[in-house]
Amino acid sequence: MSSTLLEIENLTKSFGGVHAVRNCTFSVPEGQVTGLIGPNGAGKSTVVDLVSGFGTPDSGGVRFAGQPLIGKRPDVISRLGLIRTFQTPREWRQLTVMDNVLLARRRFASESLWRSITRARRIRREEEADRAAVRDILDRFQLAALKNELAVRLSGGQKRLLEFARMAAAEPRLIILDEPMGGVNPVLGARIGEAVREFAAEGRTVVVVEHNLPFIERTCHQVVVMDLGEVIAQGPFSGLRDNPRVVDAYLGMDQSHE
Amino acid sequence: MYWVSVVTEAGIFAILALGLDVIWGWSGDFDLAFYGYLALGSYLTFVLTIGKPTPPVEYILGFHLPVLLSIVLAVVAVVGLAAVIGAIALRNLRDIYFAVTTLGAVSALYLLVENYTPLFDGYNGVYGLINPGQTALNLTYNGYRIVFLGIVLILLFLAYLLVQRLSRSPFGRMLRAVREDERAAAAYGRQVFWAKYRAYLFGAALAGLTGGLFAIFISAFNPSAWTPQELLVIYAAILVGGRGNPRGVILGVFVVYIGFIELTRYLPSPASRPDFAPAAREILIGLMIILMLRFRPEGIFRERPGLDRGLGPGAPTAPPVAVASAPASAPAADEGGAG
Repeated sequence: MSSTLLEIENLTKSFGGVHAVRNCTFSVPEGQVTGLIGPNGAGKSTVVDLVSGFGTPDSGGVRFAGQPLIGKRPDVISRLGLIRTFQTPREWRQLTVMDNVLLARRRFASESLWRSITRARRIRREEEADRAAVRDILDRFQLAALKNELAVRLSGGQKRLLEFARMAAAEPRLIILDEPMGGVNPVLGARIGEAVREFAAEGRTVVVVEHNLPFIERTCHQVVVMDLGEVIAQGPFSGLRDNPRVVDAYLGMDQSHE
Repeated sequence: MYWVSVVTEAGIFAILALGLDVIWGWSGDFDLAFYGYLALGSYLTFVLTIGKPTPPVEYILGFHLPVLLSIVLAVVAVVGLAAVIGAIALRNLRDIYFAVTTLGAVSALYLLVENYTPLFDGYNGVYGLINPGQTALNLTYNGYRIVFLGIVLILLFLAYLLVQRLSRSPFGRMLRAVREDERAAAAYGRQVFWAKYRAYLFGAALAGLTGGLFAIFISAFNPSAWTPQELLVIYAAILVGGRGNPRGVILGVFVVYIGFIELTRYLPSPASRPDFAPAAREILIGLMIILMLRFRPEGIFRERPGLDRGLGPGAPTAPPVAVASAPASAPAADEGGAG
């Protein structure tokens, strides 16, 4: 029903003697939310790093919208429209909340050293439109009152929201979220789930690495299960309970799931 | 005349500190090669203006170019050297590894200049650039020094305007984002090396300009003029004034140069211990660094991020966007729980 946006083929990576990722193959359909789950050490975050250019695989390939990504730098991959988060929020601490989100608008042309000197006024004028858009985004994530605060002063939950505000400002084609629910309270969790669905509603493709299975069940169209560096299942969440490998590796350990 | 010379020197060093602050304050790279750029700029300004050496003095080039052109050429050469050092040191090295690499680079330059006499006459150094243009401007010696002070202060003001403009520009913002978190900056499309590299070359260009001014100011230059301590004083000045804040940096230089270096000249120096005052000066500067780091690590003026003065959504100037308010007020679903 929808075309494939991200294709991962036989991805393999070992660190010393540890096979972090082994012959990992799966695909992400465009416009859908794909969950990537599995026990700790299954290789999920390594896959995210390899896809986003923060690591080089030993072998295998990644194609994003038909383009091969392996060997490309993270900033190049990002400019193609793939933006990822990290397990811990990585806000620019000594910058204001407003600046953090403005940076996510990615106006690379106005960051030229020369133009910053010679076209300062014009750049500032052009930035006004971005600022207005960012104010709206901050409002959506309950950060409007904090726009002039340094990001370092935000609470853990607010930092998560800032991450989503940046993502909303960046408007990427593919979003990869690495454990967005880590250390998040239920109310905030609801807001995050909503944000993921908003992204999907806007037509963006989302991959979310997460241990919170109720969240995965509610948000994801399909799920990829990894264990010991390999993909052991892929499909809709409802089908996983009947898959003995998945139950053995992961679901069996989860108390909250009937 | 004494104070004219003190303020001129402080003004020159303030320009230098503005350049170093772009590298250290904004980009976050503790560069120890920086004084080498001033030195190279200074040496080149000499050898491009003072003419052929008379044996046994020896140095390269020995041209008779106008001093302004010489300074421009010196800046170009300094940026060239910084391009080489930066390309090696900035690619993968950060923090202490970057600092050590740049220290190695400047030490190599220092040893080369000191020991290879055909370059800049080794330890004797180069001299003879005395008030270039004084006769053309029809000035007395002292009159020239005052005019030169005026030129330095004007250049400092222009450098301040330039750096301040950059500081508030998207370039300055992006550079600080790279400083705060490189991986996040890369994840949002920033080319980390290229960002830092451009800042490095910009800072080095200011150091090259400072070298040219310094050549005119002291009219002789040799290895004793650019010992490693000099750079630490500049770092101390940035720290005191406020790392990342151009106004603070200038204030810091004047506080450190005039407050500490010049006023300590009035310390009693017993005849039996002529080295008392210089030693006391260095102790005082060290003490000041420690006290600042303990009680006001951000400096006198902290780095000031640009504030957004626009009104929020729904304000009269910005018409509200329909989708903006809806999700925020939506009732919370039952997400969360296990995790």
